[in-house]
Amino acid sequence: MADLQIDHVTKTFGDTQVLKGISLDIADGEFVSLVGPSGCGKSTLLRIIAGLEGQTSGAIRIRGQDVSGIRAADRNLSMVFQSYALYPHLTVAENISVPLKMRQLSAAQRLPVIGPFMPGARGRNAEIAAAVKHAAQTLEIDRLLDRKPGQLSGGQRQRVALGRALVREPAAFLLDEPLSNLDAKLRVQTRTEIAELHRRLGATFVYVTHDQVEAMTMSSRIAVMMGGEILQCDAPDEVYNNPLDIRVAEFIGSPKINILPVEASNGALRFGDVVLPTVAPKALKGPIRIGLRPEALRLAAQDAVLTGQVVHVENLGSEIFAQISLTGYDGRVTMRAAPAQRGSLRIRANIGLAFEGHAALLFDHNGKRVFNPQVAAAQSEVA
Amino acid sequence: MTRDLWKHLILILGALVVIAPFYMMVSYSFKSPGEIDRGEGGFFGRQEMMVDERCVKLRDPDREDVAAAAPRFPTQTDSQIRDALVAEAVADCQMRPIVFNYSKAFTEAPLLRYLLNGVIVTASIFLIQIVVALPAAYALAKLRFLGREAVFSLVLFCLLIPVHAIALPLYIMLAKVGLTNTYAALVVPWTISVFGIFLMRQFFMTVPDDLIDAARMDGMGEFAIVWRVMLPTAIPALLAFAIFSVVAHWNDYFWPRIVVTGNRDLFTPPLGLRAFKGDGDGSFFGPMMATATVIVTPLIVAFLVAQRRFIEGITLSGMK
Repeated sequence: MADLQIDHVTKTFGDTQVLKGISLDIADGEFVSLVGPSGCGKSTLLRIIAGLEGQTSGAIRIRGQDVSGIRAADRNLSMVFQSYALYPHLTVAENISVPLKMRQLSAAQRLPVIGPFMPGARGRNAEIAAAVKHAAQTLEIDRLLDRKPGQLSGGQRQRVALGRALVREPAAFLLDEPLSNLDAKLRVQTRTEIAELHRRLGATFVYVTHDQVEAMTMSSRIAVMMGGEILQCDAPDEVYNNPLDIRVAEFIGSPKINILPVEASNGALRFGDVVLPTVAPKALKGPIRIGLRPEALRLAAQDAVLTGQVVHVENLGSEIFAQISLTGYDGRVTMRAAPAQRGSLRIRANIGLAFEGHAALLFDHNGKRVFNPQVAAAQSEVA
Repeated sequence: MTRDLWKHLILILGALVVIAPFYMMVSYSFKSPGEIDRGEGGFFGRQEMMVDERCVKLRDPDREDVAAAAPRFPTQTDSQIRDALVAEAVADCQMRPIVFNYSKAFTEAPLLRYLLNGVIVTASIFLIQIVVALPAAYALAKLRFLGREAVFSLVLFCLLIPVHAIALPLYIMLAKVGLTNTYAALVVPWTISVFGIFLMRQFFMTVPDDLIDAARMDGMGEFAIVWRVMLPTAIPALLAFAIFSVVAHWNDYFWPRIVVTGNRDLFTPPLGLRAFKGDGDGSFFGPMMATATVIVTPLIVAFLVAQRRFIEGITLSGMK
């Protein structure tokens, strides 16, 4: 187990810069997710950490040691691929044993036919078989050891790929969208299992995904990447509640955060003609945007700040998401409501909405977060 | 329905045209020279006893034979003894045409030796071709390096060069290094098969990159990847290539004819047919066709055994 350091890594393919100076410190035993839309460079970053791709500049350090120029095989990292990448001609047991065989047996001991008769090969092979068995038991695939990958289901292949990664003790595990080829139900189950596996092994995990739910549920920290940069790297809570960039706010959270254009002047915010209950820093002027999470909105009668008409309702049983077309604004907002409020949220019903002033997230015209004095006050009260 | 009928009729006609020479070859290998000359006897011939003229001539008794046989024929004159000996020889030299043809095929020339040479030459060519083609194809398909496209176009270009165009320079080069009349002369010019490189490269293109990256993560070097990952996944394609390669070099008459000039011990099976080329002492079509049958049989058997996987390899759909 080891810590990883990514130091100002850039990557250029031809004229396009895919990574624009990424820096990230991953502590020993941490589970860090790299999350972002496709094409944001997260897989490239993982491949650079793995040594499958070279960086254009910058350095990767494992246990403080610069590994630039060290090939993938010698970095002592394990990787799980989206396509699982199992060897189709080997059985499950042989697949899992490959990383051990390549590292623990000499070239002569690996030879076909005569290899097993080389001096010392028997003991080593027995150790490897035991390690394979142990890994298979951990993942509950010990009954599949004699099968070929072609005879396994997607979920089983995924476990074999995990088994191949954890059969030895690597410095860190790298996972490249390992769940995206599984069906929805299995994905939720495997998500839990990987998180538990991480807790049990206490190993360093770097997990690449485009699915923010996976990132939110499993990670100790989430690094949100977009356009070749890390926009924010924080604990899931923090990323959700305190996004530093409007793109992070929009990417994290489902349903998506509501973004409204407002006018700031003199510490007050106006949405159309309506003055919002949110206080802004006095210096903030001109058109800016605010973000409101669906759960920040509530139904209101007298103290309604916004009014609108219900245009669509999604009932998930435990909660309701209503899309509301606001009066005097051609966009929609989404609000989260309790099932009990179902009665007031009929299609085409006119309703009033309110929110607490400190629940609004302010973003300046560049999309950067502006801290709301109310939030600072609310947080200091809690402290 | 009628369209199917026509389709099949045309296909059957085509098949007949293709199979006719093989039919003749096998049929002639069963028949006596007389039947071949007169074109009679159906497929198997009548298989009447025939006399091997050459065998009789070889046993033609001379004065000493007659003298040695005298005690067996006490009352007879020398010329009577001679006639009796000739009659004996004729009786001994009688055999069925099929036996005559096939025994001639193996005795007239050391056909077994030629077959062994064929195995040695084709197997060496194929093995070395794999050793060269697999790493080359892997590099062309999966590694990024400067000039890769240029190298690949060279490979394609080499596919266009006919063997016969470069036969003379090749021969001269081999002669200069003193390699004519050796196994090396038969093997070396064919060890780099651009067709093999091309075929395997096309197959390797279909192997997912993740598999190779996984092998790298598992601690394999590039050569280990070629032999431990690419080779096993490429078995169907290799089998297809094996058939092309083995058929081409087993049946090759042109090149062995050029580089094996004196030493009959190096003859490959097709050169064995030369033993029966029409000389002054008559035609040997029967034994010649028997030899030809013996030569093509191993290939046909091998093809039938590997047929399914061979077709898999040609359509390149063995993986995934």
